[in-house]
Order: sequence, then structure tokens, then C-alpha cells
Amino acid sequence: MAKREPSINTENFTAVQLMELDSCSRCGECVNWCPTYDASGEDPGLAPRDKILRWREYMNKSYGLRARLFGPKQISEEEIEEFKDDVYGCTTCGMCATVCESAINTVELWESMRANLVKRGNGPFGKQSAFLKLIGEYKNPYMEDNANRVNWLPEDVKVEDEAEILYFGGCTAELKQRKLALATTRLLNKLDIKFTMLGEDEICCGSALIRTGQYFINDTAKENAQKNIDNIKARGAKIVLYACAGCFRASLIDWPRLTGKELPFKVMHITEYLQGLIEKGEIKWEKSIDKKVTYHDPCHLGRHVGVFEPPRAVLEAIPGIEFIEMERIEENQRCCGAGGGVKAGIPDLALGVASTRVDDALATEADLLSSACPFCKRNLSDGRDAVGAKDLEVEDVVVLAAEAMGIDLSDTPK
Amino acid sequence: MSMEYFAGISDALRLTFVQVMILANLSIGIFLIGMYINLKKWGMGSTGYGLEPSGSIFAFPKMLAYQMSEHAHIHNQSVLETFFLDILFQRRILQRSPLRWFMHFTIFFGWMALFALSLAMFLVEMIFLIGEEVGYAHSLPEFLEPVVFRELLAVPNDVFSYILLVGIVIAIYRRLFMTKVREATIAYDSILLIGLTVITITGFVADGIRTGRFWGFDMPIEYAPPAALFHVVISLLFCIAYIPFSKYIHMIAIPLALLANKGGE
Repeated sequence: MAKREPSINTENFTAVQLMELDSCSRCGECVNWCPTYDASGEDPGLAPRDKILRWREYMNKSYGLRARLFGPKQISEEEIEEFKDDVYGCTTCGMCATVCESAINTVELWESMRANLVKRGNGPFGKQSAFLKLIGEYKNPYMEDNANRVNWLPEDVKVEDEAEILYFGGCTAELKQRKLALATTRLLNKLDIKFTMLGEDEICCGSALIRTGQYFINDTAKENAQKNIDNIKARGAKIVLYACAGCFRASLIDWPRLTGKELPFKVMHITEYLQGLIEKGEIKWEKSIDKKVTYHDPCHLGRHVGVFEPPRAVLEAIPGIEFIEMERIEENQRCCGAGGGVKAGIPDLALGVASTRVDDALATEADLLSSACPFCKRNLSDGRDAVGAKDLEVEDVVVLAAEAMGIDLSDTPK
Repeated sequence: MSMEYFAGISDALRLTFVQVMILANLSIGIFLIGMYINLKKWGMGSTGYGLEPSGSIFAFPKMLAYQMSEHAHIHNQSVLETFFLDILFQRRILQRSPLRWFMHFTIFFGWMALFALSLAMFLVEMIFLIGEEVGYAHSLPEFLEPVVFRELLAVPNDVFSYILLVGIVIAIYRRLFMTKVREATIAYDSILLIGLTVITITGFVADGIRTGRFWGFDMPIEYAPPAALFHVVISLLFCIAYIPFSKYIHMIAIPLALLANKGGE
């Protein structure tokens, strides 16, 4: 009789991640804080600890003592499909990692589970499967001609061919939320900071592929990361600025991991750069923004890489802004719901999470909900519309800074 | 003499020091086999992100060493800080819930202290036993005589037993009376707590019979040896042999996860 094969394999897991499955003490903290578990009406399948429990059971059924003595125990395909649905119902916000008493790096565990399931033929989820084709074909996930990244910039915007500073715009700001890209470029111009951009040589940072477990297919994410790095180097950049939290996180953490090399340049979020200029007194504010403003920490900027203070420093420096914090901030912040492929794969869930976050903002009685990521802005705007909070403005910190510097953005093309 | 401590009440039930030693070694053997299986299982992972699964028993230590040496973007703290604040002091639990921290810390602290005291008692018995065989027992300091040493440990044993008991009582209360905790409890959790409880209760009962304190339930002194024996056997099986196959593995895996992730996000 042929020996039974295990139903699962350990592709894409590191040895430490497999150990982490055994380190969950099931304390339940992750369940208390998980935004998608909450927004789903407490669907038990979405509870982080139960995902760990299930994969640990799969591991024991496949490779544990009993499996070694009597052969692996089969796991039904229905069960694995159900697990796949649950593991994709996560925004990879990292809240579970922050509160995990065992310090399990859950975000990377979910991403490894996803990559494993993609390799196995189960993942990704719904529309996420289009990412690979779109990024491969268009170099961005929005099916836009890549030339459209910067060809819309008004003539007054001065972008150098080569410079020590490079602004990596990102697909969302360059192709969908051009106000942010325009604000960033004009702001740098106004500060007399010579900068360059990749233009149509820019390729999606890979965040969408990495977060949804598709990074390894055809080595697309690795190749794109290397091309971006090479193109950035070719433009002589020593500092790369980002106004997108997702691109920033991908560059800082994922690019070195994918390419196996340290980055040959420094990466900074634009708010970190602006904070430095504010501290040196190099920014002249020309306009007062008389609004009560609260700030939403993007997961990829805050919890993932620890940039909490710079966006707040920028907001607090802008004349007229009355800055007010929401109840859950910084490492305990509540996710906007857009990340991890959830916006594309499970839009209703993304909207549910966003609505809760908008409620957090409304509780502060703020006029404006700011963030430092175009993807957060998009989902928070959807959440604002869903809860009918018409008076709540949603805007990026960089746009607010540009406006306070007297920069006109009214000519932003659609 | 120390060997009598393990003697049964009848010839049929009599278990000697040697037999307990055999059981202890058997428990350690089962533990080692279990850990080997776990290391093999963990070694099914890779030694780097995106690399092929290794399959080597050295994959886990290799990946652990890599992660511990890697620069972390948030908490790039030292191994010493992780060891003292996160592993020993359990700071991450305290940050989330002071009650749960108190519960876990008392169990952890009581448990580890009693384990250390038992180990010390065992070592003293061994030193004395070998001394008697070799002939140096008479030159040992008085406190290294098992009878004297046991008396020395009596108070700390009591104190740490109470500490452990407090933690276990809170744990049982939470599992039984806190709805959210009760509803989430599965056999994996219960077995751990039942094991701990049985070990603690049998420890108290065995001590009570020997010393005549109320938790001996006025049982005759003749029951002291088998009660102590039962406590020793169940402790060895739960505390050592069963670790790799149950939730007890968290005692090993959580410190490793804390080290790998530098105390966590």
C-alpha cells in the first residue's frame, strides 16, 4: 500500500515560524484587538489564535508524533479552502503581533501561510489573483499605462533627471490620488530641494504581491524590487522619499529580504524628512489651517516600522491646526481595513473596518481625519461615506502641509 | 535515610530510589524524543525568508541565530533585555493584563522555584549517597545531610507552593467563571491546567500526610510514602515527559519566540 502523503507542506515557512505555532498560549489578546474579527461580527474563523491553532493541528497531523508512527492524517480540501478564506480575511495590520504575549511575528506568519496556500493552489483570494498579471503587464495594479505616472504633472513642477533625493511616488498616488503626488512634488520644489523621480521606470513596489502571498511566483516581486533599486541608483539618489506607507514598508523591509542585499540608499517617509526641516526652521508656513485634526497611523508606517511621531510633528507645526488624538493610536491604533489585499479581495470587510475607524475619528469631534498613506485615505474616505459623516474631511498630512505652505493644488488632474 | 522517603507501605508497593531514578530517566528520555520530533518538525521550515524548506534538524537553531542577529526595525533590544524583562519578568503579559500577569507570574515563579528546590534536594541526596558509598559522607557539612537539608527547604517549599497555588486558583477561576475565557477553552488548555492542579494538590497532600498539617486530611503517616511517590511520578511525567507533546511546550517555545523576535513588535 502506498504511503499516505501529508495534506499540507511547509513551503514558505521558516523554521522559526513553525516553532511560533507552538508558542501560542491562546491567551486571546489577539482576538480582543483584531479589526477584521470585530468587523466580521466576530467570525471565529478570523480570530488570529484560531488560525495558529488550525495550522498547528495541520502540522501535527502531517508531521507530529502520530504521523511519524502511523502515517499522516488527511485534512479535507474543504477544510483547507475554509482556512484559506480565513487567512485572507486579514489586513496584515499587525495588531495581533503587537499584543501577542508570546511575541509571535504574526504578520509574517499570515503572509507565509498565504504564500504556502498560493503554492498549493488554494490562494490567493478573489480579485487578488489579478495582481500578478496586472503588475507584470502594466507595472502597476491599476491597468494604467505606466507613462501616466508622471506625464500629468503640471509644467511648473520641476523634476530633475538625476538628484541625491528621489521621490518614489507609488502607484496609488501617481495614478489614482494625484493630489498627494502633486502636493509632494510642489512642496519639495517650494523648499528648493532638488529631487528626481523614476517616472515610467517606476514599477509597483511589490507590496500587493507580498502581502497576498504571491511574491515568489516567477520571482516577479524580487525582479521588480531589483529593477527599482537599480533605477534609483542610476538616478544618483542617496535618499528615497515616500508618501505611501505601503511602498515605504516594502522598500525598507521587503526589498532587502527579496534581493538578499542591503539597500544602497536611505529610505525615509516624507513626514520624517519634513520633521527634520521643521526642526531646522526651514519651512515657512504661509497659511493657517483652522481645523480640528486627528491622525490615523497607517499600519505599514507605524506598527510595522515604528514611524509614529513625525506625522504628528508635522501636523502640530502647521499653524491653526488643533491636533487631537483618537482613543486608539500609535502601536494600539485601529487599522483602516484596506491592507493585506482585503480592499481588493473582500471589500465589504474592508469597509466595515474603515467605518469603525471613522467612528473613532468622529468621537473626537475632529473636522478632519488625516493619515500618511493614500491607501488608508481611500478606504477611510469610503468608510466616511458609508457612515454618512459628510462633514468629516479625509486628507493626507502632506497635502495639509503643502496647503499650509501656500501651495495651490486646485489644478490637480483627475 | 533519604532512600526511605521513596519506600512504599508494603513490599508489593515498595519503590526504591533506584526505581524512581529509572522513572526520572525515562521521563527525560521521552522528553528528548519529543523534542527531537519537534525540532524535526520545526526543521521542515527554511533557514531564511522565501528559501526552500530545509528538513534538517539544525534548521531551527540556524534560523533562530539568524533572526537574533538581524537588525529589527522597532524593538532592536539586546538579548539580555529580552531575557530579563520579557522572558523572566514577562513584561508583555503585564502590558496587556495585570491580573493575567499576576496569575502567570505566580505560576511561573512558584513552579520554577519548586523545580529548583527539588533539583537541589535531589543533588544533595546524590552527593550524600555517593559519599556514603565512597566514604566521604562523614566529612560533608551538616547542612548537606539530606534530613537537615530537607528541613532547610521546608519554609521556602511552603512559600513557593502557596505562590503556585494562588496562581492556579486564579487560573481555574478564570477558566470556570469568566465567560469569554470559558467559552474559548479547549482540551489543549484544560490538560495543562488539570496537570498543574493535580501536581500541586498531590504535593500539598503528600506534605500534609508527612507533616500532619491539615492538607493531609488526617491520613495515617503510612500513606506518606505512596502519596509522595505519586506526586513524584506525576510530576516527572507532566513536568518533563509530557512537555513536547502538549501545551507545556509553551514553556520552551515562548522564550524562543521572544528571543527570535527581540521581545516582539
